[in-house]
Amino acid sequence: MKEKIDQVTKNFTDDLSGVNDKDALESLRLKYFSRNGLFANLFEEFKLLPKDEKPVYGKRLNIEKNQAQKKFDDIKAKLDSNSDGEKEFIDLTLPGIKENIGSLHLLTQTLNEIKNIFKGLGFSVYTGPEIESDENNFEMLNFPPDHPARDMQDTYFINESFLLRTHTSPVQVRLMKSNKPPYRAIMPGRVYRNEAVSAKSYCLFHQVEGLVIDTDITFAELKGTLVYFAKQFFGENVKYRFRSSFFPFTEPSAEVDIWWEPKGKEGKWLEILGCGMVDPNVLNNLNIDSEKYIGYAFGMGIERMTMLKYGIDDIRLFFDNDNRFLKQFK
Amino acid sequence: MIISLNWLSQYIDLTDISTEEIVEKLTTCGAEVEEVIDKSSEFNNIIVGFVETTEKHPNADRLSICKVFDGSEHYNVVCGAPNVAAGQKVPFAKVGAIIPNGKFEIKKAKIRGEVSLGMICAEDELGLSDDHSGIMVLDDDAIVGESLVKHLKMDDIILDIAITPNRADALSHIGIARDLAAIFDRKIKYPAISTKFNLCAKNDDAEVVIENPEGCPRYSAVIIKDAAVKESPEWLKQRLTSIGLRPINNIVDVTNFVLHEVGQPLHAFDLNNVAMHKIIVRNNNAKDKFVTLDSKEREMLPNDLMICDGEKPVAVAGVMGGENSEVTDVTKDILLESAYFNPSYIRKTAKHLGLSSDASYRFERGTNPNNTVNAALRAAELIVETAGGNIVNDIIDIYPSKITNNEVAVRYSRIEKILGFNIDREKTLQILKGLEFSIIEEKDDSVKVSVPTFRHDIEREIDLIEEIVRIYGFDGIPNIDKISLALSPQTDQTSFEDLIRSKLVSFGGTEVVSNSLLSDGKTINYDESIKVMNPQSSEMSRLRTSLIPGMLLNISRNLKANENGLNFFEIGHVFRLKSDKINSFEDFEEESHLLIALCGNKNITEWYQKEDQYNFYDLSGMVENLFDSVAAVENVLDNYTEDDDIFYYKKIKSAYDKILGEGGKLKKDLLEKFDISEDVYLFEVNLDLLSGLKRDVNKFEPILKYPKVFRDFAFILDKKIKYNTVVNTINESSSKLLKKVNLFDIFESETLGSGKKSLAFQLEYYENDRTLRDEEIDKEFWKTIETVKTKLKANLRG
Repeated sequence: MKEKIDQVTKNFTDDLSGVNDKDALESLRLKYFSRNGLFANLFEEFKLLPKDEKPVYGKRLNIEKNQAQKKFDDIKAKLDSNSDGEKEFIDLTLPGIKENIGSLHLLTQTLNEIKNIFKGLGFSVYTGPEIESDENNFEMLNFPPDHPARDMQDTYFINESFLLRTHTSPVQVRLMKSNKPPYRAIMPGRVYRNEAVSAKSYCLFHQVEGLVIDTDITFAELKGTLVYFAKQFFGENVKYRFRSSFFPFTEPSAEVDIWWEPKGKEGKWLEILGCGMVDPNVLNNLNIDSEKYIGYAFGMGIERMTMLKYGIDDIRLFFDNDNRFLKQFK
Repeated sequence: MIISLNWLSQYIDLTDISTEEIVEKLTTCGAEVEEVIDKSSEFNNIIVGFVETTEKHPNADRLSICKVFDGSEHYNVVCGAPNVAAGQKVPFAKVGAIIPNGKFEIKKAKIRGEVSLGMICAEDELGLSDDHSGIMVLDDDAIVGESLVKHLKMDDIILDIAITPNRADALSHIGIARDLAAIFDRKIKYPAISTKFNLCAKNDDAEVVIENPEGCPRYSAVIIKDAAVKESPEWLKQRLTSIGLRPINNIVDVTNFVLHEVGQPLHAFDLNNVAMHKIIVRNNNAKDKFVTLDSKEREMLPNDLMICDGEKPVAVAGVMGGENSEVTDVTKDILLESAYFNPSYIRKTAKHLGLSSDASYRFERGTNPNNTVNAALRAAELIVETAGGNIVNDIIDIYPSKITNNEVAVRYSRIEKILGFNIDREKTLQILKGLEFSIIEEKDDSVKVSVPTFRHDIEREIDLIEEIVRIYGFDGIPNIDKISLALSPQTDQTSFEDLIRSKLVSFGGTEVVSNSLLSDGKTINYDESIKVMNPQSSEMSRLRTSLIPGMLLNISRNLKANENGLNFFEIGHVFRLKSDKINSFEDFEEESHLLIALCGNKNITEWYQKEDQYNFYDLSGMVENLFDSVAAVENVLDNYTEDDDIFYYKKIKSAYDKILGEGGKLKKDLLEKFDISEDVYLFEVNLDLLSGLKRDVNKFEPILKYPKVFRDFAFILDKKIKYNTVVNTINESSSKLLKKVNLFDIFESETLGSGKKSLAFQLEYYENDRTLRDEEIDKEFWKTIETVKTKLKANLRG
């Protein structure tokens, strides 16, 4: 049986090498692959074999036949493609059919990028309401009533004790009120500032704040984490500096600037975020032992980060929602 | 705050340090320099020139032709000033100079036929004063050819510094000098006071009474007699103009000088306009009016702190003096006030007056209570120097309870614990001393310092730690490359909204972000909307109760820009009042909403498709897809109505008797308010409710192993019978073998008869555990057909 199979396949290979037109190919097909062809004959013979030999030759026969069939198909495809005029004309250069694709707002894209960086560092993500109490927005955060520090954040008031939050720090307050330390979280959200609308400022913007509290947190860790963030976001070669600043809820406090040099323009330092070690008064206000627990906090504006990264010079573009703007960031 | 480096050099020697380094260090140590102005660059090409000769211009009576020498060359200059004369030394702007006032460039010119190679300048042209009576004539000792800036000693560098609200002490030249002294480790030269004096509660000339010692813990007053009010000397005028202040007269100028020198606001009263020569510091009694020295009438409130004389108020304490007692040209005797006021009193008054003066700005941040006498004497000596007269040696000083230095200790271990690295002790002590904190106790593990009252912000250990790292410099903090973190569960409260976003983007939606503040006219659900107390404008005065108005503004803007084919969505908070007044979080509702909006072309004409418009079914389908993919929808009900205020018709999705969302085709009258003429389809969803229906993990269901069987049929029935009714009838007539009903055609035509339509359905049958037999399906199918026929009076087609 083995010899017979070998013989047929060898003959097939020889015959196939001589084929160079479709007629010859068709007679080859009839000779080997038709109902009474040589391979069919081999299968008839195979049926008569004793039971114990069947598995061995059955497998072999199948393999050989399939290989032959494949060789045959290849040659057929080759002959088909050579025959001009018979084939349908297809204009592959027509524009492809495109579905309408959607997109996230650029601010969401930036926020996602920021969230991903911090989630990678083990941060949770918390949110809170935009109408806040004076207590959560200011008092708990060490802004005494009638203190000039309140002038740092022009506030929209609803009444004497409720306001539109000026930062997402009240989400930190809520977290500290409801959970026990340690904390490692960022708080993204919409905040409001009572400022005239211009290319540089809008009546609202979006912030991401962060809060980390544990027994062994240090300023060096804060700096290391924010440098890591700046490099992830702006690129490994970002030039940065930390400079001393003041926020009622952190001490020591700092602001981070990055060196910004748009093409063809003079470079300058631009502030990207504020940060510092959580002021012990804040921890005490929230019944957290300020001797045992140390923490850091930071905050940045998503609009500002986006404007820097994408070279956008007017904050109002984010809120006008002109399709010609939105489409650029699909 | 404006700082002049020339002025600063009076108190600290920084000659070996570049401006760049000063700016960099001040900035990183917390006094952010926002702008650096090099004054000398404003006077490029303007020099001291010598007028050699003058002669009349042949073609113009009022002009002269001068020969001006700049030390090396001679220039022909046409000059129109009446006072120009040979032999004068004058400010000479050469060709190429930019004239400071007006910013125009001097070019070679021909004036009435005569060549002119420059300009001889008047004071106003140089921006030095308002004087335009003639050219400025310089002193005889001026060096010809020297730059004018140098001659006038105006080669100054001006810094505009942002001082944070905690650093009241830094709001003066000496304040900035003190930080620089600590940073660069040098000594301050404080101005010397030579007057001998006694302190008393009253003297022969005046008396001071503090009725509210909480509002005014200290009031010091120095009397100067027989002074002559006149123009200030050059040096004083120059100091003030260098920081942008306008000189007024020698008395006022001195008080301003001392304020900017050391940060103590002073006020000079004309002693003879102080009734009974008595100063009383007390609260205002009633609502009344008071005219401040800027001649404005101010509304005063009860409890505003006022400075009064024996009869009436003479100044708003710490904010501004009164017109009735100000120093005038005829003033001879002066009472100089140097006080310490309670910051919150001053802040309240300044705030309600809407008046922020250099004085109130400092008082409300907290001045140094223990420098009032010193500052007053410094000013008094300068007044005598510029105005003559003499200082009364009995100085009035009312200071009922002395404010003392804070004593604060810091543990070295705590510094390292907070900062995460070690600053050596020697450096720590050097910084503390450099800041003028005196060491009162040194222990092995800690140090205690006495903090001068100008740094009232330093009260706690952490405040000292901040000072130490601030002066040490943040650059010195080592870069760590490893952190460790607690293995607490990680949560993400934005994940549901992100899921919604990703679904809508996959439906082709473009996300928008709109303002949540709207005008009254654009607000819907007006009665439930929340108003902002102090809006910038009425355009942004109400919080949105719905995302609809913001979306319509977006749509309107885009349609005007010919952007058609809008598939927008927004996620944001909306706000609604629940009671008349907000006293607690229970009195209003803040919810996270989603709004989907479709408007205009769904598809534009392309080689493979025809243009078509978005319609209600696009919206409805998108909503179904969204709900199916994010929520457990078994309990969600759909309702439809054509009775609504803003929609012609709408779909309502609800669960457990709560409306999850609704929307449909917007009515024209609302669209007209937003100037929109296209059809708009909107659906708004309450995401807080929807997230409550969020599915847990989608459990796997085995893939069907047995064949599905399909049966098609079409009915002709009354046009007004709804799809829902038909499907319900089909479902009710079938067993659980029927898994899905698919409407694949709707057809209306004359041939069907008027008021009729044809609906074609495909029914899908299968069972999870076996292959269905044809007979059992046929039985089901025919039962369904019969039910539909009888219940809906329908006829089977074809």
